[in-house]
Amino acid sequence: MSKHALAFVAFALMLAACAGAASTSTTAETVTGGDLSVLEWAFYEVPEMWVEFGEEYPDSNVEFSFGASDEDIYAKILAGSGEDIIHLYTPYLQFYVDEGLIQPIDTSKLTNWDKVAEGFKESCTIDGEVYCVPWDWGFSSILYRTDMVPEGVDSWDALFDPAYAGHVSMWDSGNAAVTVSSYIMGIDEREITEEQMAEIEQMWIDQKDVNLFYWTDEAELEAAFTNGDVWVAYAWNGAYYRLLSAGVPVAYADPAEGRNSWVGQYAISADAESYDLALAFLDGKLGEQTATNLLVDYAYGHVVPDYYGVVEDTNLVEALSLDDPGILERTNFTVPITQEQLEAFVAMWAEVKAAG
Amino acid sequence: MIQGKGRWASVMLPALFLVAFLVLPLLLMGVMSVRPRLQGGIFNTDWTPTLDHYQTVFESGSFLPLLGTSARIALLVGCLATLLAYPLAYFLVFRAGRRASVLLVLLILPFWTSYLLRVIAWKIILGSNGAINSFLLYSGMIEEPSPLLLYNRSAVVVTLVYVWLPFVALPIYAALLRVDRSWLEAAGSLGATRRQTFLKVTLPLSLPGVVAGFLMVFIPTVGEYVAPILVGGTRGSMYGNIIETFFGDGINWPLGSALAFIMLGCVLVVVVIAVKTLRVDRMLEES
Repeated sequence: MSKHALAFVAFALMLAACAGAASTSTTAETVTGGDLSVLEWAFYEVPEMWVEFGEEYPDSNVEFSFGASDEDIYAKILAGSGEDIIHLYTPYLQFYVDEGLIQPIDTSKLTNWDKVAEGFKESCTIDGEVYCVPWDWGFSSILYRTDMVPEGVDSWDALFDPAYAGHVSMWDSGNAAVTVSSYIMGIDEREITEEQMAEIEQMWIDQKDVNLFYWTDEAELEAAFTNGDVWVAYAWNGAYYRLLSAGVPVAYADPAEGRNSWVGQYAISADAESYDLALAFLDGKLGEQTATNLLVDYAYGHVVPDYYGVVEDTNLVEALSLDDPGILERTNFTVPITQEQLEAFVAMWAEVKAAG
Repeated sequence: MIQGKGRWASVMLPALFLVAFLVLPLLLMGVMSVRPRLQGGIFNTDWTPTLDHYQTVFESGSFLPLLGTSARIALLVGCLATLLAYPLAYFLVFRAGRRASVLLVLLILPFWTSYLLRVIAWKIILGSNGAINSFLLYSGMIEEPSPLLLYNRSAVVVTLVYVWLPFVALPIYAALLRVDRSWLEAAGSLGATRRQTFLKVTLPLSLPGVVAGFLMVFIPTVGEYVAPILVGGTRGSMYGNIIETFFGDGINWPLGSALAFIMLGCVLVVVVIAVKTLRVDRMLEES
């Protein structure tokens, strides 16, 4: 309703104002390292998630502010919240580059850069320039109940299969819907024609006959898997890991079209106060201790494969396919898209949701 | 009467609050809706106003029909909630006697829990392993849990009627409380039956409360988006969900604003027509 929308705008403006006030009131203390501000997601602010930097620059004051979604984080930066470092996810990198909100990364100053797997480096590269340091990653694929779908799932087509009518759940995301369609149709989601977009829209309108609900948070999806309402769903590896650990009979598909992989990335704001300090923070993110904590405590992948040996939890090894060296080659990394493309994807999705 | 500065302050504070948090945001949203794109930052002023977003909404095949559907759902929810609330309020005023105050507290008790929780509670009631299905299974009336209770528009309507019930009951309760008992006695002594007394005296006198209660439900329900997300399922989306999609996922605040303004306009028109045709102003004067 309009009141919510209003409240949202007012809230955004207030946040922008507060952020502005906060950044100007920060007094520059004379410390060896200086201060850093990071626009983060909740739970990544704990010192365990930046061990190496904390040890090397004990006098640096790292301030965290938080975003609730990729869109939220982008809107905050666009409104001028002014943090030095931004934690964004694929496919939003292009937005920041196009708006001139971030600056390139001088990878020669990163001691851990060479350890990063190639695909992750590519996720940060636009027109030959590296714009971010990749850090956390995970999969998107099809999660299914092995007792209800004994034949297994080997294609993204399963989300559209009438055999599972009433037991399918798609993520409520226009971008993800286009990604799935592009895999099935074998096209590049950055080069979709109007006819193809119309075809994708029809695909998802027809999919409504088999879809039970569009999930908006993982807990909701996991509950529906547990009670047997949902058998087949678009899901991240985190949901797979938690359901597996809870003893629910589920499996995570390795579709013929390839899984999708999302990557978390750190970028440095175009007007960061201390570029070198920000780089040091990002270099520390690639350190072994921080990586181990990310893998073991939070069950997300880290971009340096050398560290995977520390994982002993077999469910986690399974959820991230850490024992399958070829998995990343068979994976489709989320490609960067532009704001115009996202708008088109979301407009398509809104039409799908509005269709009767 | 509060005198001098005190009186000004008592008016200024709420006025300032309304200007800061209602009028200004509304204006900002109006400006946003004619802005071509969000690019260049929120405070960027380098753009030419356009009506493109309004055109997009009118050209879409499904947005305006969905607004119509949402209005019909709101009408249904408003009517059902009013029909259920009226006997409730009537009972509280004329039949409950000394228990009335306790029952009134019980009526508004659900307000003490979060709106979200009350909606999620319906998920638990209607779910395939929920209360209703469990009972039907237990009593042997069905053999398989029915998935048909949840994830559709009926679930949205049921949930919203429940959520809004106290909102409608309170204005009706207040209106009935104001009904002068001596009029009812007069009607009785003039030979009116209880039915006639209700239809000719009580009901007309309580109509302002009924209309107020109905509008309190109808207006916010048109733009509802939480209940459809949680219990509406694939085909339960309402107009508010589309607005939310553009503000959230799409980072397309201009189009979202245009959608919101169109809804605001339509609801205003409906309410003005309703108030004019039902002569609410006259009813209020009479009461």
